[in-house]
Amino acid sequence: MTIPIEAIRSKKHAGFERTEGRYPDFREELEHLADAGEIVVQRVEGEAIEVPTKFGRPKMIQKGHLWHHKSCGQCGHIPGYSTSIFWIMRKLGLDYEDPKDQTSCTAWNYYASATSNAAAQAAVAVRNFAAAYETGFFPMIHCGTSYGHYKEVRHELLAHPELRADVRKVMDKLGKPLVLPEEIVHYSEWLYAIRDEIAAHQKVDMSNIAVTVHPACHYYKLVEGDAIYDPDIYAGQRTAVVTGVAEAVGAEVREYSTWFDCCGFGFRHILVQRDFTRSFATLRKIERMKEEADPDVVLTHDTGCVTTLDKSQFAAQAHDRNVGVPVMSEAQFAALAMGAHPYKVCQLHWHSTNYKPLLIKMGIDPDQAWAEFQEDLGKLERGEKKYLDWDDVG
Amino acid sequence: MSFDSVVVIGGGPAGLRAARGIAEVGTPVVLLERANVLGGTPILENYAGITPHGEEAEPVMRRMAEQVTGNSLVDVRLETTPTALSGVPGAFTLEVAGPDGTSEIKCGAIVVATGFQHFDPGRETQLYGYYEFDDVITLPDLESMLKSHNVVRPSNGQAPRSLCFVQCVGSRDRQIGNEYCSKVCCGVASKEAIEVKQLHPDCKVYIFYIDMRMYGYWENEIYWVAQEKHHVQYVKGIITEVLPKEDPVHGKQLIVRGEDTTMGRPMELPMDMVVLSVGMEPSSGTLDAARILASGPTGSGSSTRSAARWTPSPPAARASTPAGRHWARPTWRTACPPERTPRCTRSPSSAGTRRRWPGADNHHGPGPGRRHLRSLGVLRAGVAACQHLGAVPDRCGPGAQVGGDAGAGR
Repeated sequence: MTIPIEAIRSKKHAGFERTEGRYPDFREELEHLADAGEIVVQRVEGEAIEVPTKFGRPKMIQKGHLWHHKSCGQCGHIPGYSTSIFWIMRKLGLDYEDPKDQTSCTAWNYYASATSNAAAQAAVAVRNFAAAYETGFFPMIHCGTSYGHYKEVRHELLAHPELRADVRKVMDKLGKPLVLPEEIVHYSEWLYAIRDEIAAHQKVDMSNIAVTVHPACHYYKLVEGDAIYDPDIYAGQRTAVVTGVAEAVGAEVREYSTWFDCCGFGFRHILVQRDFTRSFATLRKIERMKEEADPDVVLTHDTGCVTTLDKSQFAAQAHDRNVGVPVMSEAQFAALAMGAHPYKVCQLHWHSTNYKPLLIKMGIDPDQAWAEFQEDLGKLERGEKKYLDWDDVG
Repeated sequence: MSFDSVVVIGGGPAGLRAARGIAEVGTPVVLLERANVLGGTPILENYAGITPHGEEAEPVMRRMAEQVTGNSLVDVRLETTPTALSGVPGAFTLEVAGPDGTSEIKCGAIVVATGFQHFDPGRETQLYGYYEFDDVITLPDLESMLKSHNVVRPSNGQAPRSLCFVQCVGSRDRQIGNEYCSKVCCGVASKEAIEVKQLHPDCKVYIFYIDMRMYGYWENEIYWVAQEKHHVQYVKGIITEVLPKEDPVHGKQLIVRGEDTTMGRPMELPMDMVVLSVGMEPSSGTLDAARILASGPTGSGSSTRSAARWTPSPPAARASTPAGRHWARPTWRTACPPERTPRCTRSPSSAGTRRRWPGADNHHGPGPGRRHLRSLGVLRAGVAACQHLGAVPDRCGPGAQVGGDAGAGR
């Protein structure tokens, strides 16, 4: 190689200094308002892991004692996504709170129809944060859209005192304080932070599994500075979360040319023009992945993305398009790697695209697993149990 | 009390020209340079040919440096940087740190010629994968390859079959706060495109742009030559992302994606190499100078104004508005606005001189510099300097010879 190329390589190897983005660190204003007594900040407590973000600000991820802010779309359509997160936390021996008084973030309302208003959206967010604060458990957000939406709400509240005044009136009526957590944490950030522990508990060999990663727009494109960028993953040029977990469990992460493209969910057009969603998801994402990377599974980390990429393929398949690759969250993938049951925990039977070849490649017999699941369901049918609980799923 | 010498901070093209011009009017100059070599960015970043005539940067900068080091009135201090300032305009005391420790320089005026650094494409909102992909490089990276007359793909050492330039990386970008145009990248990219085609005639070369800014002689000597003689393809539409792609025939390539706004359709092209036309940002020396000199004397209005214009606002600064508190974006400035070398070398030559000075052999003749120097205080080398002096706006055409040196520059 020529000397200039060696020099270029050395320069790139040295990396780059992450500098402040468009906006200063939100924490400055957060602390200022906390000191002024305007808001209550719920602090990260106990064992916390520091992770790098896009512009260099270290983000603290509390490891345990977490309040699960669940996803309406997951619980409703792909429940294995939520149960996998809980299962992993239980397997690692971490305590948590599964609240019964959490509401939807209502970002669906905001993104689909824009019929809400800033004060209402912010009040819903703060109400959930206050509910977590009152339990002492630190909130962790399951849905990427909730997470991105809450980051935007945080910015609006910190920048606009008149909005805070409106929200404070609502909170006063509810008898709750105006709370913001010190960090807004997505579950995929927690998984990324503990990925080495996941690998240490791994039971299934993933080294022959090829994956493609779809990053959720709502995770890294909203309030872009507050997202994990790791110099060791994509050289810090793309967000690290899902890829970090896939690599930690030994899977092969493959490239494709539409990595940055949205999945096509589109909160509005999935309601009013669903063919656009399906076309986008299959033609621009799934077909490209199949042609260029031929993965065994697509991993992503948002409710809408899993839903769209998985459940759009049947329509394209009817037109003999080149589709047919299973899609799941990296939480389900990590749970499978740790030995979770594909039906009792990961609930793959809720997924649309055929996942059985993937299970076989992992060394899991889908028929036997289904029989085990049916046996447990038999207990419910016979009235021996009302529902399956954690002791049943292993 | 007043001191009759001038300190020039920065030994690049602007600083060398300023030092030479000041010495030529008979005023002692101390030239401070933080590196161990004169020449500035053209030398430190391995520039190859400079526009519009393509002469190699190294001999040009050597000539400029020799005109300074050969002048008995110029005291060149390498590896030396300013650390503190006291006094008043006309009677400054500048503390400096060098290889032999710290010392003080008494001077009447200071010229700040600390220049720029190239925008780092790894950060901010860029999606070009500079640190991720071997075959994504920057303009100065390509310059260093052109200087060695060997342009190959860093990933495999092979000649590129296709290469593209992405303009305005780090400039004209409201997202990252560098809203200005860096002025030189269009001309330099076009020059480098020609040089690549000269080395690899079969290579397909593209330039993806917002608009091409081809000043003066660049228009007919570079822009049309690139298209008509060398068949460089200019496409109006900026690239949005760069991703890797494995091609069954050609192996690993990069995919660039954007919109061809002339044709009104999205485009996706495979490339062997992507060259990011990175713009200018304040150099670390400029930021240091701003900090050191702006914290100096405030008695003189001109120095306060000069310093304030390039003092960065603290990131925590807030402006109270009826809508509430807002965070102010940090505002950083170079010592002067982005300029091509010809203008950088013309302005500093006026920084310490007056026009129509009798008996001189250059455009900007000597004048009663000493009296004038006391009123200058701390001065930014650049276009604004001419305006401060009330000089007639540039009557030299672009590319004109200035003071006998090679006025052609980037």
